[in-house]
Amino acid sequence: MKVRRIALLLAAAAVLELFVGRSPYRAFLPVDWFLLATAAVSRSGDFVRAVLTGATAGALEDALSQPMIGMNAFAKAMLGYALTIISVRVVFGGAFAVGAALFVASIANEAIVALLAALLAQAPVVIFTRGALWRAAATGIAGGALESARNFPWKEWWQRRRLRRLR
Amino acid sequence: MRPPSARVEVAAVNPRRGGAVLVTVLVACVLLLSAQAPSRRGRGTVLQAWFLSLSAPVAAAVGSVSHSVSGAVESTFALFGARSENERLRRELDARERELFRLRAEALQRDEDRRLLGAGSALPGVVGSVPILLLEQRAGSHSVLIGAGSADGVAPGSPLAVPAGLVGRVVTVGRGISSAQLLLDASAAAGARIARTGELGVVRGDGHGGLVLNNIATTSSVARGDLIESAGIDGIYPRGVPIGHVDSVSRGSKLFLEVRVTPSADFSRLTDVLLLAPSPATKEGAEAGRSAAR
Repeated sequence: MKVRRIALLLAAAAVLELFVGRSPYRAFLPVDWFLLATAAVSRSGDFVRAVLTGATAGALEDALSQPMIGMNAFAKAMLGYALTIISVRVVFGGAFAVGAALFVASIANEAIVALLAALLAQAPVVIFTRGALWRAAATGIAGGALESARNFPWKEWWQRRRLRRLR
Repeated sequence: MRPPSARVEVAAVNPRRGGAVLVTVLVACVLLLSAQAPSRRGRGTVLQAWFLSLSAPVAAAVGSVSHSVSGAVESTFALFGARSENERLRRELDARERELFRLRAEALQRDEDRRLLGAGSALPGVVGSVPILLLEQRAGSHSVLIGAGSADGVAPGSPLAVPAGLVGRVVTVGRGISSAQLLLDASAAAGARIARTGELGVVRGDGHGGLVLNNIATTSSVARGDLIESAGIDGIYPRGVPIGHVDSVSRGSKLFLEVRVTPSADFSRLTDVLLLAPSPATKEGAEAGRSAAR
């Protein structure tokens, strides 16, 4: 994936995070947009770019909402590498697989951040909250939906629709 | 056009090179986190304050667009079933007016009591209302980004509240936006008292959206439904602001009860909060920190 496209993805993730964050409906859409951006880069199979994108996305998220910069950067860099391994080595695809992988990745992100916060800021370890599970589910569903939209044969569908109209 | 070489393809999927980059990035993150950890003392970092100042225009612009979009969506939905909504609202307004009348009478009575008792405790000074730009919950950490900064008179440690109760405190201040820690945060704490009995304790966020009142002796007569308010003993929050109501009381450790508290403020519906003036202790701390930095 090109650097310009990665920058665009990260900017879009930041804008969506702020856009949803200001909305009164944020409780229904707690999607981790930065994780989706990292996963999109990981899907291209480039380890270096996936790790760097994950670190940048995490740092942006930290700067916006975390007491210490670096916790999400650490977690998302690791997840960028792990998701790239999955996309390169494991031969499976489809919206369900992507959704499930993102669900697990979101929980893993939560766990890594919780452990780092416990180690560095002496915060109590809180991982499996209802909010975290809902966030992971929302991220998985959003990722799965984006994957199915990406794989959908829009061109053929449009042509079939046009033919049907002509008849 | 030249086709992409096989070497480039191999480099793109080379996990060894990716592993080296991963290790470098992780080490950099650990160093960055270590540099921040000892110097925090409850306040945000300079790096984060800079970032917040830089991102203020973008956050404000996106926030206003989001606000307008959600407003438009709400107005569209409001068009449907407006008649029944109107009827319901009229009934609700009647009920609210009666409630307001009762509350005014109670407030006047309370003010009179305060004056007569000569407690002399100043009511928390409301600086103004600020919008919430982002509400984040992750790994027990509950934080918000508010649309006001040092230019609007926000200082680190300024308490935040809504009419229903206490919300949290400002941690990092940028020029146009600031970040704050909510009371629900697993590492947040506030000095609290049981309004009925006057016993003092410490309210902590449990990280799961609830609060726990600690340090209440087993001899206490605290009961379900008791009002918990801020005690003003922590040097951060003013006295007398509601925090929540006792939800359950159980025997905790040998000496203390485990008191679970339901927050008064509805944290899921926060859109705007009231900024209160920081306590003198917080101000002094901030000034001492600034002079030490100089």
